[in-house]
Amino acid sequence: MISELHARAETLIAKEFVEGISAAEQEWLRTHLRECARCSESASATQQALRSLRTLSVPLPRELAARTQFRVRLRAQELQVREPRWRLIWAMCGASWVGGAATAPYVWRGLEWIGHRAGLPDLVWKMGFGVWWALPAIVAAAILLMEDGERGAARNTGGAA
Amino acid sequence: MADDKKSLVQGLRQRDPEVLDRLIEQYQYRLFRYLLYITGDPQHAEDFFQETWIRVLERGHQYDGKFKFEAWLFTIARNLVIDWQRQKKAVSLDAMTDTEEGKGFEIVDEKAKSPLQLFLQSETQGRVQASLEQLPPAYREVLVLRFQEEMQLDEIAKIQATPISTVKSRLYRGLDALKDLLAGGAAS
Repeated sequence: MISELHARAETLIAKEFVEGISAAEQEWLRTHLRECARCSESASATQQALRSLRTLSVPLPRELAARTQFRVRLRAQELQVREPRWRLIWAMCGASWVGGAATAPYVWRGLEWIGHRAGLPDLVWKMGFGVWWALPAIVAAAILLMEDGERGAARNTGGAA
Repeated sequence: MADDKKSLVQGLRQRDPEVLDRLIEQYQYRLFRYLLYITGDPQHAEDFFQETWIRVLERGHQYDGKFKFEAWLFTIARNLVIDWQRQKKAVSLDAMTDTEEGKGFEIVDEKAKSPLQLFLQSETQGRVQASLEQLPPAYREVLVLRFQEEMQLDEIAKIQATPISTVKSRLYRGLDALKDLLAGGAAS
């Protein structure tokens, strides 16, 4: 019975700091701590551990904020230059897809005609149609991959991440 | 308060340099401290600090103001560290977080001082720090977020991408372990 009381007190001591306890639990715990030296000691140890943790200070590296602000501004400028270029690429992709959709039946027939004239199997000119349709996306993906590669290389030479 | 958040969301969306400068100043200590505890190395913490703010600049439009800014900021920082650890083919933070026997950010020679201990010179700080370093990283991280950063349980859960129940159990175990380690250190 007594060990159950101690166990409850231990649980409540930790719970109070981790997630909070109700007023009734608080009242019970205070009463118990007044009467029990062992649990009172445990509560003090917990408080002491947390006080130590809270007061643990870390020295900041010199000019950390200023150096970071400088890097962030540089990157912001870089993005300002790149973004209009990206918007242009996406606009071109969009226009090319719209144009592609509008002319698809004609391109299909044209490729079919060329395929038959050249004696190519159906699969070949149909694949050609697929490539023609996907070309804008392939170009955009290639540019994206190149830019990512450049950024990755720059990051590897500039920092840990 | 709501207006502050609104202007913050707007500033991040527009990549307003003034807003970013202010945020860097405001969160420099907390972010650096958090990074220091999860990387265990001041140089890495500094690199990730800068990289985190670059990400904030690039992905500022993704912050919708639903959660506190610091929770979002710490999530970015944590993900960067995890990505880096995966790239380095070291044990990831996530993998370490699930083990009871996780040793933290490896200190090969137990007698040698870790970069973190060297960084925190004073004796008391060194003792607390040494105790913290002996804790599994998952416990150390929740203790830092809860008791140094004063974050709510749901915010910690969001940062760690784990259920609140997991956060609570890590906090209980971490607190218990820290208490024992500090008591042991004081006794010896």
